[in-house]
Amino acid sequence: MPVKWVLYWQPNQGSTVSTQILNEAAQCAESISGVKEGRWKATLNYYKPLLRDQSSTHHPDSLPRDFLGISLPDHPAKYYFIIRSQRIVVEADASIQIIMEKLQSYKSKVSLHFDGFQYHLGDFRLRVGRVVPVHSESIRGIVMEVEYLPISSMEKARKVMEEFVEIWHEALSKRSLSGKFVNVELNFGEFGLADNYTPQHTGVQYAIVMAHMIATVQPAVRG
Amino acid sequence: MECVVQGIIETQHVEALEILLQGLCGVQRERLRVHELTLKSVPNLGVVSSEVRLLCDLDQQPEPTWTVKHVGGAMRGAGADQISVMVRTMIESKVSKNALRMFYSLGYKLDHELLKVGFAFHFQRAAQISVSVSSVNKMPKIHAIDEAVPVTPGMQIVVVTAPATPENYGEVAAAVSSFCEFLAPLVHLSKPFISTGVVPTAAAAAASLMSDGGGTTL
Repeated sequence: MPVKWVLYWQPNQGSTVSTQILNEAAQCAESISGVKEGRWKATLNYYKPLLRDQSSTHHPDSLPRDFLGISLPDHPAKYYFIIRSQRIVVEADASIQIIMEKLQSYKSKVSLHFDGFQYHLGDFRLRVGRVVPVHSESIRGIVMEVEYLPISSMEKARKVMEEFVEIWHEALSKRSLSGKFVNVELNFGEFGLADNYTPQHTGVQYAIVMAHMIATVQPAVRG
Repeated sequence: MECVVQGIIETQHVEALEILLQGLCGVQRERLRVHELTLKSVPNLGVVSSEVRLLCDLDQQPEPTWTVKHVGGAMRGAGADQISVMVRTMIESKVSKNALRMFYSLGYKLDHELLKVGFAFHFQRAAQISVSVSSVNKMPKIHAIDEAVPVTPGMQIVVVTAPATPENYGEVAAAVSSFCEFLAPLVHLSKPFISTGVVPTAAAAAASLMSDGGGTTL
């Protein structure tokens, strides 16, 4: 499958993230001849352990504090788990979510939607979307997926991806926004993933991007 | 959900059962070689302690495939008592090969593991029915599937399952029951955990099947 980079919006110190950025990014995509293809949506869940006795000294420190589950629009029949602390990514059928519910050992505590528009620009597909908690409209961040359709090798696509992101930054800089889209450098080998791009690479990127976003982005009071 | 019945048969009569099944199902048998790992949650994890199975289908090409399986409680009550098959919740999900590592990380420990070797038939007969006939083996050392030895030498297990929904389980149960009647001369099938032993007439039925190649309707 085509190589994809997942970037997130990092506001400048003191500024917040808002739907205004999303609108500007959409206009920017159109200004560089992006053709709007419709909407896209992904859903991410944070699972946390359910412990029988919270006060017990038997708190298993070895358990992850949380792990991520994500469903991707390109692979609706699948579901991806990422345990970041252990560098594990697992691909499963979507029915694994029902199994997790039945086990009652971990519970999905926070769910986030990614939704927005996708654009076609020559050999690239671009998706820009907001990050919002389910049952809420307050925007928590903005993500951007850049996909280069002809190549599935991460290494071979690197140069062309870097060039695209540079053009994108240049186009966006004309709009004097307070922040920038950031690409997180990742070692996929740590997760047991090879150079050939798979949906599991996307899952890992979302997990890492979310960790960065939570650590650095202050949500606006009202989105 | 699934409907399930099971029974036991002496290994010496398995070949006859295979001939009978071949005639009844009209499909080719598939080889069965599955490594089944049962995992249990560590003491403090979860609202209740939980169990999940990981099945590794060793015969799949180009490499073995993994499935997570959760078997829930059986349906109870007067309605369940009236039918001769067990109806229970069952959910499966195909997973990548590192699923075992994931469950270990999440606080699940290996409870026991088995290697099931035999054959299976999958066919449509008023429901999507699967019949598996296998010897159950245990490992002397962890994951040592090449050194597996039978749990009950000379005896194999027969399992008949069919997927069902809350709307159609009655019809599926009836389809499974009526299919099981055809196997009655060789193996008695009942709800799991209700052992009914081997069929006393199995030797005679097997001899008859082996002599005419299963061509005669029983």
